[in-house]
Amino acid sequence: MRPTPTQSTLKHRLGGLALASPPLLLVTIFVGFPIVVAVAYSLGHTGGPNATVSLIAKDQVTVDAWWKQSPGAYGVLLRDERFRRDLLVTVLVSLATTAIVLVLAWVIALYVRLTDTWVSRLLSALAVIPMFIPVVIASWVILTFYASDGFVRTVADQLGFTAPVWGYTTTAVVIGLVWTQLPFATLMVVSGVQGVPDALIEAGRDAGGSIPRVVWSVVAPMALVPTVIAGTFTAIGTLGSFTVPYFTGPNAPKMLGVDMNDYFQSYNLPQSSVVMAVVVFVVASGFGAVYVWANYRSSASTGRV
Amino acid sequence: MRRSPVVAAALLAPLALTLASCSSGSSSAGTAGGGTSVIVAASGDTNVQELWQQTLIPDFEKAHPGTKVTLTFDLHGNNDQQNFARLAAATQQKKDPGVDLVASFTDKAASAGLLAEVGSKVPSLASVDPKVVAAGGAGAIPYRASSVLLAYDSAKVPAPPKTLADLLTWIKAHPGRFTYNSPKSGGSGQAFVVSVLDSHTATADRDQMTTGYHKDLEKDWAPGWAQLASLNADVFQKGVYPNGNNQVLQLLSSGQIDMAPVWSDQFISGQAAGTIPATMKAQQIADPTFTGGAAYVGVTEASKHQDLAFQVADFMLQPDEQAKIAEKIAGYPAISMSRMSSQIQQKFAAAAANTLRPGYNPDHASDINNLWDQNVPGK
Repeated sequence: MRPTPTQSTLKHRLGGLALASPPLLLVTIFVGFPIVVAVAYSLGHTGGPNATVSLIAKDQVTVDAWWKQSPGAYGVLLRDERFRRDLLVTVLVSLATTAIVLVLAWVIALYVRLTDTWVSRLLSALAVIPMFIPVVIASWVILTFYASDGFVRTVADQLGFTAPVWGYTTTAVVIGLVWTQLPFATLMVVSGVQGVPDALIEAGRDAGGSIPRVVWSVVAPMALVPTVIAGTFTAIGTLGSFTVPYFTGPNAPKMLGVDMNDYFQSYNLPQSSVVMAVVVFVVASGFGAVYVWANYRSSASTGRV
Repeated sequence: MRRSPVVAAALLAPLALTLASCSSGSSSAGTAGGGTSVIVAASGDTNVQELWQQTLIPDFEKAHPGTKVTLTFDLHGNNDQQNFARLAAATQQKKDPGVDLVASFTDKAASAGLLAEVGSKVPSLASVDPKVVAAGGAGAIPYRASSVLLAYDSAKVPAPPKTLADLLTWIKAHPGRFTYNSPKSGGSGQAFVVSVLDSHTATADRDQMTTGYHKDLEKDWAPGWAQLASLNADVFQKGVYPNGNNQVLQLLSSGQIDMAPVWSDQFISGQAAGTIPATMKAQQIADPTFTGGAAYVGVTEASKHQDLAFQVADFMLQPDEQAKIAEKIAGYPAISMSRMSSQIQQKFAAAAANTLRPGYNPDHASDINNLWDQNVPGK
């Protein structure tokens, strides 16, 4: 039950708004406004804040009045087989990376939760280390590690068989992205699984449940929300990734993060680049919807909404 | 709740300070000078930065007492696009762009009409090949050059190909031992691509595309794209084209490939520094030669200190400074070789430094990047 707004609660709310206003203003000016401008550019508006970029750009779709919108730039790109291929690869790489990251994070989380030894604690600490290594350096390391003269192939050769070359392949991109995304997902899932009370696990065991059964019926449902949050963050982060696919990936197919940079810088087609950004934004909001649902569910279960 | 406005103000203060410092920064750039100081904007690797900071600028200030040259340097050209947009916007609004002499993205600035006309303000330009000057676009002043050479491991390739046709045959005969970087990521790969395209393009059409933008002529490239795509199976790892000139040099130095197109200056400096083994050699090929090009500077149209900026450009073309450029970063002199010492003439003899074949107009170059990406990898 909520109290009716009185003078003092109104004052409270305005005070709260004032406290929150600097970040809100910052987000509106530096994030919200550029998004609106960019979407307008993708629909053919080349005046105003877009005048400078359109002065330089080639092959633009334009409209001649502010109330008109043209989907032409979207049409050009969606008809391009190269873009459709790269979009598909980007989504598939995101899904594969997210799946692998979640599986690995869960394995670590369960190991830490069920066996509290120095090995398990070491493992959970090791999983976080990639967070402290710059992605550029990590990408180079991964590239040389799996190169045709890299560590993996050298060891395999010593043992008498031939390992595949993964440098400059989509496999290397997935390995690199798992490497960079794992720490955050592990932190989320480990804390979620650690949060399951001992009493519940023991109760499940006392009732005769096997460990897999207890994990499936007790631990998993309770850690679902952090898992979903980790998954959506991983998927969104992967979708827009640039450094790892740029350094370790093949020339074709490319991920859209690399494409956007190429279209903007190398092909001088900024409008197509912005259109791609909007498409990525739409796909990311699909993943974002799952995140919102998970948050809502967790708030609902604790009675906050 | 009385405290909340204070808290809000405290939170806003850093933002206000940031904005204030931004505006004061730009106004000081606007008032600097009075005719005796210029701002140079350059980009590139650390070798270029050292060239400006330790050689060109101190020499100029010594020769012209009372002047001041300020360098704003953008390492690896990461912000070229932004700086270019800033210059375009300032020129359009007739504001001071905060830069008088650009030494990066000069080609784009020239084709967008952001550079001041040179006319007779740079007398030394008379001894530079007019073709090289024209290739830079309106207002661009070449100050050093480099070309792309075919580098090879002499221990594994005793008789390197001498023409493009021989090179293509060699690539097919030695699968996996050659590659070039994607044209968007560096000029050495782009030169190889351009040379293959040119071997199928009529000279008259090519000349038009060197100085202007004629999209309809790009259809001449179709057989070239087909030929490049047919190499996929025979280049490194069945079609890997690394991103960047340096990545290719690394593959070559580590012995993963035996042959590749490389930039002359990067190759010469790399060998001097020992990162490229001594068994590696580099030579120019024929029919057609790999393209080369000059690095250009340009005085901005919106600059308030154009006279002094032109003086800096002219100073860089003096034989003494040209010799220092050749020594420091292995750049070919932009002025005629006959004005240089015999020692420098010898250094660049194998590279045919005075017969540079220019690349395409920048708009065509960005189309090449795009079309290559569409037509070659994975086909």
